[in-house]
Amino acid sequence: MGKRSKNKSIGVAVSVVLASTSLLAACTSTKDGGTASPKPSATPAAEAGKYPVSTTETLTSWEQINTNLTTFVPNLADSPFGKQLEKETGIKVKYSHPADGQSKEQFNLLIASNNLTDVIEYDWNNSYPGGPEKAVSDKVIVPLNELIDKHAPNLKKLLQQDKELDKMLKTDSGKYYVFPMIRPDNGLVFRGPMIRKDWLDELQLPVPTTIDEWYTVLKAFKEKKNASAPFTAQYTNELNIQDAFIGAFKTANRYYIDDQGKVKYGPIDPQFKDALTLLRKWYQEGLIDRDFALNTDSKSLDNKMLSSASGATVGLLSGGMGRWMDSGKKQDPKFQLVAAPYPTLKKGERAFIGQRDFKFNPAASKAVTAAAKNPELAVKWLDYAYSEKGALLFNFGIEGESYTMENGKPTFADKITKDPKYNLQQMVSQYTKPNGPFLGDSRKSFNTYKEQDEAIQIWEQTDAGKHVMPMFITPTVEESKEVAKINTAISSYKEEMFVKFIMGKEPIDKFDEYVQRIKTMGSDKVVKIYQDAYDRYNKR
Amino acid sequence: MTVMNQEALTSPIGNKKPRALGLLLDIRKNKLLYVMLLPVLLYYTVFHYAPMYGAIIAFKDYSPRLGILGSDWVGFEHFETFFTGAYFWRTIKNTILISFYELIFGFPAPVILALLLNEVKHSLFKRTVQTVTYMPHFISLVVICGIVKDFTSREGIINDLMAWFGAERSTFLLEPEFFRTVYVSSGIWQHIGWGTIIYLAALTGIDPEQYEAARMDGAGRWKQMLHVTIPGIMPTIVILLILETGRMMNVGFEKIILLYNPGTYETADVVSSYVYRVGLQDFNYSFSSAVGLFNSAVNFTLLVFSNWLSRKLNDTSLW
Repeated sequence: MGKRSKNKSIGVAVSVVLASTSLLAACTSTKDGGTASPKPSATPAAEAGKYPVSTTETLTSWEQINTNLTTFVPNLADSPFGKQLEKETGIKVKYSHPADGQSKEQFNLLIASNNLTDVIEYDWNNSYPGGPEKAVSDKVIVPLNELIDKHAPNLKKLLQQDKELDKMLKTDSGKYYVFPMIRPDNGLVFRGPMIRKDWLDELQLPVPTTIDEWYTVLKAFKEKKNASAPFTAQYTNELNIQDAFIGAFKTANRYYIDDQGKVKYGPIDPQFKDALTLLRKWYQEGLIDRDFALNTDSKSLDNKMLSSASGATVGLLSGGMGRWMDSGKKQDPKFQLVAAPYPTLKKGERAFIGQRDFKFNPAASKAVTAAAKNPELAVKWLDYAYSEKGALLFNFGIEGESYTMENGKPTFADKITKDPKYNLQQMVSQYTKPNGPFLGDSRKSFNTYKEQDEAIQIWEQTDAGKHVMPMFITPTVEESKEVAKINTAISSYKEEMFVKFIMGKEPIDKFDEYVQRIKTMGSDKVVKIYQDAYDRYNKR
Repeated sequence: MTVMNQEALTSPIGNKKPRALGLLLDIRKNKLLYVMLLPVLLYYTVFHYAPMYGAIIAFKDYSPRLGILGSDWVGFEHFETFFTGAYFWRTIKNTILISFYELIFGFPAPVILALLLNEVKHSLFKRTVQTVTYMPHFISLVVICGIVKDFTSREGIINDLMAWFGAERSTFLLEPEFFRTVYVSSGIWQHIGWGTIIYLAALTGIDPEQYEAARMDGAGRWKQMLHVTIPGIMPTIVILLILETGRMMNVGFEKIILLYNPGTYETADVVSSYVYRVGLQDFNYSFSSAVGLFNSAVNFTLLVFSNWLSRKLNDTSLW
């Protein structure tokens, strides 16, 4: 950009200047872009861990904004939370938010245009091609080891106390690259099968636990309750029945880890054929939503769940179950959803896989970019979220306003829980950050119904811990490139065939051909790469 | 505009003088005209030609951090990946088929509507029809696709109608065999009114005396349309057709992406939507620009070819 002023003095027509400078900028940025090293800050570094920091600098942050919050304000800085965070840390932050539903494209553009903000909150493990190692070697983000060591005492303490967390946060070469979102113990399981209990009671059926029982129930829903789509699910490239019905066949709809600790690609397992056969049969009998492939947004799912077109789904704890109970009970006081255990083939078996996340959630973690003018300040700002006071703010908001301390236990105030107009999720979004890099607090619960508390306990009863592949294993740069190249073709083809097999547009006999094709596309290579990365992870 | 400039530029070439000299003389003669041309030239240079240098990333292993010039050369690797890829023929076939149907059904639609409107003498009715038909043109594509989804859904109006006639309900957007029909017909619905405007304008340019003469010769409404109206707007039709052919490979990816799903990839996945999935979503910029470049090359060839063909056949052409 330094070239711009020189060019202006030449005094040609404005458009010419614009054209040539943008060209020049494009050329020169490649040269100094690579060597740009963070300059030492002008303001003297305050003592680590002391807040508020006295600084006149402003940080910039790119992060998604909670859609609930956008009901009230367009920018996080304008929310009570944003203002309070600024007050407590003493650091002013300018936030930019991608439009809802377009964060992936906008993140990619951000990287491609090289217009980086100081910190970026995104899934650096799975959305940056090549993963964190590549992001660091591309000089898009900076390794945080030294910065954490010197300026982030709170996170450092956590890492020293919790070796498992420490292992999750490092790359194989030992680099820290994000400030993590750390889930509390009770926040690891939040999705599973759920079913209309009021219907079950009316039909005198128990909550189904096996595939056969599910069949009976769905059939009854269809015949006796006139449900047009007894089972439905939101379809976002991975049909959400993924864990539930496919897991019963001891496989998964993606890469997973088998009992021997080997990485496998579920969709080409022989058992997967059985799972497909089942889903196809259910589809043909009208037990599965005939339009499932079109349920790409939550709106159509809401409609079906609330209009009694569907009586069962696999969904989220608060965003699904809680929300539907709220609206459902308004129409019909008897409306009741309960969690069903992840189904198995034989009664009494423990489910092979289910939803279970890890303590570290890479999807909402913040990295410091190479463009940060004052990375130390950014790190100080981020570290606040792991301090005792900071964690309270991120989890519960402002004391006396959004929560009160009762016997040392923070409790949301009536203002939050009993708002006549807005629901809990919406109110809470103004005072806290529901997702993001901070230390989650197990005392925080959004459950408003006892069914939700029970749901966590029911959905927890799986062997998912053993079988879910961690999202933060770190293949090398070369490996990641290879994976990216192969996986796009595979997942595109798998998805197409998955829908076709279930809808009966492709005979199930073609399964072997389909497996063969995926193998020629290179699935074995990907399995090998993931296996190596997983082994390295275990050895960290 | 471009047609006129072209004429201004090429007219002196007919003289015996050498080209460069002729151009210089012409510039001296028509100084003001050339000054008026400047902003246009500048616009094209800055916004259309300058960015073209970015197309070289098709031959490189582009990494944003290294920049366009700093990335490594890889030659034709990305083109090879595309040509040998599993989806090459399918995306090409889908692109061509959708464009072809749009050309066959979509292109004549506004012409027919314009001809029909031309015969309407009741001006209020005519205006109402025009307003109603060009309204959808102004609705955002996202909304249009939402409407299309609602209309074609299992409980939608089209199924209601079909069920009324005793047909079985189906979800059109889940059936690969219906995708092109839905795509093309919704396109016609959206753009038919807008498309008629240019033809209606061309219609006003036809000399009324021709109609009188035709009537004197005993031509009825039908014959008048056949022998006066249609030949009168033929040059407009041909020019628009040539332009349309040049866009053959450019099926808009927005609409495809808003309407397709894995179940209909088979017929719906076109080059641009494939490029979008692979390129923008998976960060493969070099690959997608290679495909884009290939696409433009095909477009360019088609345009030149159809222009040549049209000049041969009926003396109307862009250049």
